[in-house]
Amino acid sequence: MKPRITFFRLTALVLLLIVGSGLMAAGEVLARERVAYRLKWLINASTAGDVFALSQGFFSREGLEVTVKAGGPERDAIRELELGYAQFGVASADQVIRALAKGAPVVVLAQLFQVNPLQWIYRADDFSLTRIQDLAGRTVGITYGGNDETIMRALLATAGMGENQVRLASVRYDYTPFFQNQVQVWPVYRNTQGIFLSDKLMAGGERVAFFDPSEYGVRFVANSVVTSQKMMRQHPQTVQQFTRALLAGWQTAMEPANETAVILAVGEHDRDTSQAVMHRQLAVTRQMIQPDPDVPVGHIDTAAWQQTEQIMIRQKLIPGPVNVIDRLKPQQTP
Amino acid sequence: MLHRRIFQFLIVYLLGIGLLFGLKLALNLSDYVIPGPIGVWHTGQAEFPRYMGDVMDTFAVAVIGQALSIMMALAVGVAGRRATWFGSFIKVAAYNVQAYPIVAIAPILFILLGDGFLTRLFIAAMICYFPLLLSVIGIMSEPVADIEHFYRVTGRLRWQLEVKIRAFENLHKLTTVVSGSATLAMAGTIVAEFIAANAGIGYSIRIALYQSDLSKILVALFIIGITLSLYQGILELLGAGLKKTWASG
Amino acid sequence: MILNRYICVKQKDPKPSKLQGEFSFREKMIACHDITFRYPGAETPLFDGLDVVIDTPGFHALFGPSGVGKTTLAKIISGDIDTFSGQVNAIGDMPCLYTYNRERLPGWSPVGRHLEKTTPRGRQPLRDELIDHFGLSELMGMRFAQLSMGQCNRANLLRYLLQDFRILIMDESLANVDEPTRQAILYKIKSIFPEAGFLYISHNVVEVSRFCDQIVVFRGAHKSPQTLRVAGQDHHENQPLDKRALERSMLEIMNAA
Repeated sequence: MKPRITFFRLTALVLLLIVGSGLMAAGEVLARERVAYRLKWLINASTAGDVFALSQGFFSREGLEVTVKAGGPERDAIRELELGYAQFGVASADQVIRALAKGAPVVVLAQLFQVNPLQWIYRADDFSLTRIQDLAGRTVGITYGGNDETIMRALLATAGMGENQVRLASVRYDYTPFFQNQVQVWPVYRNTQGIFLSDKLMAGGERVAFFDPSEYGVRFVANSVVTSQKMMRQHPQTVQQFTRALLAGWQTAMEPANETAVILAVGEHDRDTSQAVMHRQLAVTRQMIQPDPDVPVGHIDTAAWQQTEQIMIRQKLIPGPVNVIDRLKPQQTP
Repeated sequence: MLHRRIFQFLIVYLLGIGLLFGLKLALNLSDYVIPGPIGVWHTGQAEFPRYMGDVMDTFAVAVIGQALSIMMALAVGVAGRRATWFGSFIKVAAYNVQAYPIVAIAPILFILLGDGFLTRLFIAAMICYFPLLLSVIGIMSEPVADIEHFYRVTGRLRWQLEVKIRAFENLHKLTTVVSGSATLAMAGTIVAEFIAANAGIGYSIRIALYQSDLSKILVALFIIGITLSLYQGILELLGAGLKKTWASG
Repeated sequence: MILNRYICVKQKDPKPSKLQGEFSFREKMIACHDITFRYPGAETPLFDGLDVVIDTPGFHALFGPSGVGKTTLAKIISGDIDTFSGQVNAIGDMPCLYTYNRERLPGWSPVGRHLEKTTPRGRQPLRDELIDHFGLSELMGMRFAQLSMGQCNRANLLRYLLQDFRILIMDESLANVDEPTRQAILYKIKSIFPEAGFLYISHNVVEVSRFCDQIVVFRGAHKSPQTLRVAGQDHHENQPLDKRALERSMLEIMNAA
């Protein structure tokens, strides 16, 4: 693995110098039992188990030295797996399926969120959404090209609604159109942004509610743990150790008794969120990570993955089937 | 001049994309990391008309933004060319505003102006205005002593003549700056679309990034590059024509 | 009516009674007294209490090796440099103009059009006469950048001669002009402007000896006095030239330098 990484970086350096671009910062060279774990987003309540596993020594007890790297809009864990910058990562199901459609050698080790936190917030005093048809005539925010667009289109298709029955509005990270009620139904990550927005509106005397697509049959899979086929093949024990440690970390982090320690671990990275807010974020996260106590943390919901693939095929986001279930490789759980 | 610009762009683009394909081949990377030539070609065929429309949309905003910037930079640059408090104030303001990241300012603009044409125009103008202004101030505040001396000592040097002399003597520099600012205006508009708009090629790139589709990005880059090369070439031709006309007038 | 014009920016203890006693300050064409000047960053002053007097109008010269301060003094007299101490008095109610050999005309019009635009009303005949005598008739339709260096200098000097001036300082204004043309131009200037004052800066000892009336020879900052005044031949066209007197002037200049 080492010579290949070196070759790639050298060649990439030459390439990028020629085309006058900057080169991404090179990561550490992989050594035995030293692995990098690329998250999907910045560290917050959605990554509680990841940072908790690290801070509480779950990885080191498995003999692993793990570097947890925060994600972001320009980060793509699947690409980093293939380039050797990371050995494990977090990706959403649509990312995995798109990557498979393009031949990426990625496999899924665990599904972190059993319920997709991507939901829609709305003012409960203005109207209520108890069925998909209630969206008719509303201005619904979606991020064009994002998961929420795919999910919303799937919801509308499920209900047999045409796109002309709702007003789709493009959204971004600025909530002004929602605050000004220009967009009535706004996509949020229920366990993080959802809490902020609820607080803001409640401070103004407004009540909010959330529209959860999974309640209407659209179970679009969210964050999952991925690695490369090569890693699975060449370092199966490391893969097992990592998954075991990670899921044990998540399991422990989700126990209410450990909430303070989890908040401390997350708070080291997420300094902008108060502890009170983080408590509430964790409470919601817990329901999404393990909604059913009988279903272990990390459980891969095969049916949901199949549905996600079907939705993407129907919306022509991928040219054809990728048989994603063949790439679901659940590991031994704690 | 025009064909040279296009040729130079094609060399850079093909070199870049060729090396990407080389890397893909050498490291056996999947199409997800680096798309293959056939994939890029098919994407190009499928997306070219739409992306061309998007680029034209972006380009129109960029040109208007650039034109506004040039007019403002000339006006303020001429007014601020003297070593006065106003002149130094403009320079300090320009350096400061340049230092602000657009991504931080964009949401404020979005609140003030919405996510349409005005936000894109404002950001495009903002990104290309200040470098233009600094260049214009630099050119306009530098006396052309060998020419101006006669007019000054004979009491003929009014501000219009001073500006005319300095503009004429620095026409090549001004043309280069204006041509270079086209890139900034285009880049500014794309950034604006990326973060605070619902139209243009920047917006399409954002969607392509959401979809992890590098093929679309490469196609978009090609159309942006070729459009910009053409535009810059035309600006240079216009500059050369202007100089020729002026010099023979 | 000729009025005295003070260009003094700074006066270092002017003592008017003494000045009038020593220099008849107000009666001279150019009188510079106690001029001290140092370029920013220079360790030593270029001038330290310099006195230079040119008594009467006519064609005079500033002569000396490069770097001794001819141009600097010229700019002090014309007012282009005002950061000196001392007193400068130039006679007359019209400007003292300074022109130098690297000046250019703007490139957006032909030379002829520039000259037309900068010719004061009523001086068109003088302009045409000078164009003819300066050998520029054929070049009026050309751009300044298309002219040779000598042609450029002639065109530049010509436009200055058309302006209102009491004193014109010509800093190597005929550089790169061939000798016969230069000679013809100098004769012409002397015949057309007998009442005006000229300060001709040149490195050509024969030329200044022959054409100039008073020659201020610069000797360098370390010598005292810094300048000496030598009488030239002030030769005019169609006058016999006393070659022995010319040689004597040349020798005096060389000895003074």
